[in-house]
Amino acid sequence: MENMENNSIKDNKGYIVVEQNSRNQLIILYADDRACAMTGLTNEELLATDPTRVINGLEMVPVRLDDDHELWILDTAQNRMQRISKLEQMNIALEDALKAAEAANQAKSSFLSNMSHDIRTPMNAIVGMTSIGLSHIDEKSRVQDCLQKIQTASTHLMSLVNDVLDMSRIDSGRITLSEEEFSLADMVHDITIIIRPQAAQKNQSFHMEIGQIYEEQLLGDPLRLRQILVNIIGNAIKYTQTEGNIHVKISQHLEETGSPRESETDTVWLDFLCKDNGIGMSEEFLTKIFLPFERVSNTTISKIEGTGLGMAIVKNILDRMNGKIEVESKEGKGSVFRVSIPIHIASQDQKTLALPKGETVLIVEEKDDRAEQIAGFLQEGGLEPIRIKSGLDAVTWLTEAQYEDRMPCAMLLGQELPDIPILEMAAHVRQLAGQDFPIILVSEGDWAQIEYRAERVGVNAFVPCPLFKSRLFAILSDLIGNGHSDKKTHAGKKIDYSKYRVLLVEDNELNREIAIELLSLIGIQVEEAENGARAVEIFKASPEQYFDLIFMDIQMPVMNGYEATRQIRSMSRQDAKDIWIVAMTANAFVEDIRLSREAGMNEHLSKPVDVERLQEILRTRLK
Amino acid sequence: MQPYQEEYIANLKGISVLTARKKSETQSFEEYLHDLSLTKQRVEQIVERNMELLRNHLFPLLDHMFEAKETELEELQEFAANLIDGRNELDAELFCQVHQALLSRARLAKDRNGIIRELYWLGIGHHNICNKMIGLDLSETEKYMSKMRLCFAEAAAYLKYYDEIEDSETKGYILRSRANMALGQFRSSGEKIRLGKLTLQILQDKDYQAKTPELPWERYIYMTHQQIASSMSHSRNNNMTSQDIADIMDSVYIVYGKQIQEAEEQNKKPSVRSTFSYYAIEYHCGLDTIDSFLTRMENLMDAADPADFSMESMYGLISLPAFYCQYLREYPERMQDRKKYIESLYQRIWDYVIAFPDANVNEQLFFHLSQLASTFLETENSLSYGTFLKKMMIRFASSIYVHSYVVGKAAKTLAEIIMNEEPTFFDDIDFIQKIQDAEKKKQDVLDYTMECGLLHDAGKINFVSLYTRTVRHWFDQEYEMAHLHTVMGKIRLKEHASTERYADIALGHHSWYDGSRGYPSSFKRLESPYRQMVDLIGLIDWLENVTHSSQLYTGVRKTFDEAVQDAIALEGKRFSPLLTARLRDKKITDPIRSAFVKGRKEAYQQLYELKYQINVNIVSN
Repeated sequence: MENMENNSIKDNKGYIVVEQNSRNQLIILYADDRACAMTGLTNEELLATDPTRVINGLEMVPVRLDDDHELWILDTAQNRMQRISKLEQMNIALEDALKAAEAANQAKSSFLSNMSHDIRTPMNAIVGMTSIGLSHIDEKSRVQDCLQKIQTASTHLMSLVNDVLDMSRIDSGRITLSEEEFSLADMVHDITIIIRPQAAQKNQSFHMEIGQIYEEQLLGDPLRLRQILVNIIGNAIKYTQTEGNIHVKISQHLEETGSPRESETDTVWLDFLCKDNGIGMSEEFLTKIFLPFERVSNTTISKIEGTGLGMAIVKNILDRMNGKIEVESKEGKGSVFRVSIPIHIASQDQKTLALPKGETVLIVEEKDDRAEQIAGFLQEGGLEPIRIKSGLDAVTWLTEAQYEDRMPCAMLLGQELPDIPILEMAAHVRQLAGQDFPIILVSEGDWAQIEYRAERVGVNAFVPCPLFKSRLFAILSDLIGNGHSDKKTHAGKKIDYSKYRVLLVEDNELNREIAIELLSLIGIQVEEAENGARAVEIFKASPEQYFDLIFMDIQMPVMNGYEATRQIRSMSRQDAKDIWIVAMTANAFVEDIRLSREAGMNEHLSKPVDVERLQEILRTRLK
Repeated sequence: MQPYQEEYIANLKGISVLTARKKSETQSFEEYLHDLSLTKQRVEQIVERNMELLRNHLFPLLDHMFEAKETELEELQEFAANLIDGRNELDAELFCQVHQALLSRARLAKDRNGIIRELYWLGIGHHNICNKMIGLDLSETEKYMSKMRLCFAEAAAYLKYYDEIEDSETKGYILRSRANMALGQFRSSGEKIRLGKLTLQILQDKDYQAKTPELPWERYIYMTHQQIASSMSHSRNNNMTSQDIADIMDSVYIVYGKQIQEAEEQNKKPSVRSTFSYYAIEYHCGLDTIDSFLTRMENLMDAADPADFSMESMYGLISLPAFYCQYLREYPERMQDRKKYIESLYQRIWDYVIAFPDANVNEQLFFHLSQLASTFLETENSLSYGTFLKKMMIRFASSIYVHSYVVGKAAKTLAEIIMNEEPTFFDDIDFIQKIQDAEKKKQDVLDYTMECGLLHDAGKINFVSLYTRTVRHWFDQEYEMAHLHTVMGKIRLKEHASTERYADIALGHHSWYDGSRGYPSSFKRLESPYRQMVDLIGLIDWLENVTHSSQLYTGVRKTFDEAVQDAIALEGKRFSPLLTARLRDKKITDPIRSAFVKGRKEAYQQLYELKYQINVNIVSN
């Protein structure tokens, strides 16, 4: 383009070759067409004219060719002005290009500088901690601490490298989106698991709200989708001060005017909002937020690490997904990101969940919005919600309900109650309501952290928050299903117990009968022994892996439980070492527990027969 | 009761008699040691006998609870009633175990009245356990408070069926459970008052009263007012509404105002407790200024007679100063003018304790002093907090003191060996690192080590009955509760300038070196600059416990050599390899062994000179 313009400028000029003869006269030896046109003379006329006369009104630039000859370049004033104007335009374009190149160069330099710092920081930690670990190699806990820090730094380093690689893939057009079926609930759950600890580390209030959801089973690229959301929320956490607030809302809508997929009925729009009260962004920065290598510059966040590629990656992936992103931000006030992405709905192949229509479910939840959401879902499922805010009021209500034989089919217990810790509440309700009553925890907490304690006190199941209807219904269906009318059946997770066999060692006939009755009700096969010696004989005579668990009384005639356990453990067969042996006794002294452990028992079950605990053990050990 | 039940109760009571025996004035130190040894043997015999009684009789009954006869159940009720008899608590945990078993049976049998009764008593049992936790944050005690409250709440729920229930005793349990729901600490004072007010409405309902005139309604109402009035002490820590304050004022008037009025009418001196409560509510309601209120308290304290050992005087001389210090903590700017007064106050209190007859077995005196310990104020010239704690230990928990002294002595021995080999070993501790002079550094480390030993179990003062009055092995729940002594110790020591540097030792001495086990989880070894000292005290404490102190309640008993071998086996896991490596050297273990023996003798010598008898967890050389 530039060459063409230059040519056109050249073409507008006229050229004549002038010779100075021996009499010092100037004569025209050659003139081109353009020179003729400019002077209004024919070629012959022009060659016969004094050249000094033809240049009147024209601009002439002489170029000396040799001692006697010159090339005169002729131009009109208009031409010249046009040319200057074009040159000026070109100069401006060149300046712009230069500025852009300089800016890009600056961003890349700054990126390189940031990256070298960001890579060096975790690298320094890795090198430093490795050296500290080596110098304290005998101090296990110190080495362990070093390794944990090395692991954290390596993970961070890996995420930096991944970002750079992603950007490079996007730049070179090598990124592709997959289309696979995924659960929105699972994806949101995964995101909260990643994000929540980060927010907790900065004591930030992180609230994730789920709005209207039409379809939970979707078709798309869950990994890239997750990447978008995690990047945006991650930034909100990064750029929000300690104890700040981050609010995330995920919802769906069905139509989008002007959408390329408007006519399709198999698409929903996933709407995502992330609002924080962090440091915010300047208007100037907002214009380049999606450019690679850009990061908010602010002295208060100078320690924030990252490649500055995150938002560019987000924008690129969103473009490929035909999604949209909007950002509002004010410095010092915070930012709001709104994302909308069209996503295909997975084929409608949903299982029909069996819920006992019209049955009551007790919701014990302090937070109004959470309680309303749960109640709404339950009503959609044809269940009758009853909501109570506090633990003591719930115990009063349950006591009355039990006495009047109008117990709800389950209790959904919130994350926190105003008066009683939830696990204490669950433990008491388990005692009050019996082993058949399903107690479900609905919580934002990390189930893995409390699972052991929760199961021990009698919690049957856990529904993670943010709450999705499908998850709640799946758990409820699993626990109460249509078999609710048969209250004698086991209320816990449906496990086929018929394939399991336990050995019950108990000298007291009545206790044995009660335990066998309870165990038989859930379909488990029970064999019994009336003392320790008999238990050893039975175990010895059975084939390997015949028994899955042993309940062992301690105080028995002929041979006590400690000795029986010791003898079983000392057998050479493999299952003798592995089989789970549960001590059953009223003796709950520390020493007794120690003795039972020393004898080789795995767990302790208090007497009198705590049927709930007995079944819990089966659930946890046989699953 | 069954003979084994009577014997168990007699054994519990016998222990009190045994430990309350006075040392003869003419007894020599050797005779004193001999006497201690005999007492120890006797205590061991009683503990073993109690374990036999429980294992051979009580637990088989609980094992066979579903086929127990009515008479057996009645005897069990009676036995439990003897375990906690009014204010006299002999064995709260066993009481809970028995009632839990009775409740399980009642639930299975769908025996409504039985369920209500057992819930009430189980709640009472939990309440007794909660009382041992005064001074701990609600976050630590809420689990126990909730257990109690849930039992009372369930029993109280049967109020709806009041008319159906014919048995007035059961009705009484329902009403008392309703009232007891407001016992203990709450997340908000408003909730405690709200529950109290609801109970009052029920108790003052004429319909209920007419249905069961035989119940002591006046007493119930008065006790509920007492509970509401007691919410006052929480009022500075929580947001209370004006209605809350008005409710408290109402109850305070009924409980204390009337008493004052009546006393004045009869020209008698009103009780200190009533007068103080009245003053306090006037202050909290804005009718009095803090300065005037503090002056009124000073007048009350000054008026208490130090030669009078009644409950009334004890309250005026010890509890009132505890409240006084609590207010001053909230208004530290008022401290400056009152420093001298506080210094004289502590001196007066300690003189009173020394003069108190049989102080070491007086639970009320101990309770009041515990209150004082939890609000202690330290000034430049006052008794230091550490000294106060040590005095408490010597007086009321002598076995804990002996253990602590021995740990200090043996830890000091190992610290000296370490300092000779590695003078910078404890340099992570800032104040030690700053000491330039090598000899002074060594001496300061040794003094610090001794004091760490003496104060590492300061938190046990809160659980004295668990440590010194449990006449059987611990149940696992008690073991769990005992863990709280680390947290309690840290809370107490951290609050005072003179003891702050011992807080981490109290918190971390049961943690494991590799962090895999141990307690409490709030101690992060690598984040503590005191970790080397925590490791040292933790190791020596463990050696002392398994060879001597904890054998009675955990059943663990090892010789010194066995304990050393076990500690080496736990190298890098429970114990620091930097310390256990040294235990392989006999030249190092021998002085430690001697320090245990010598330290114990020295501790007894101190007790001998103070003429104190040692309490249950008696240990001897």
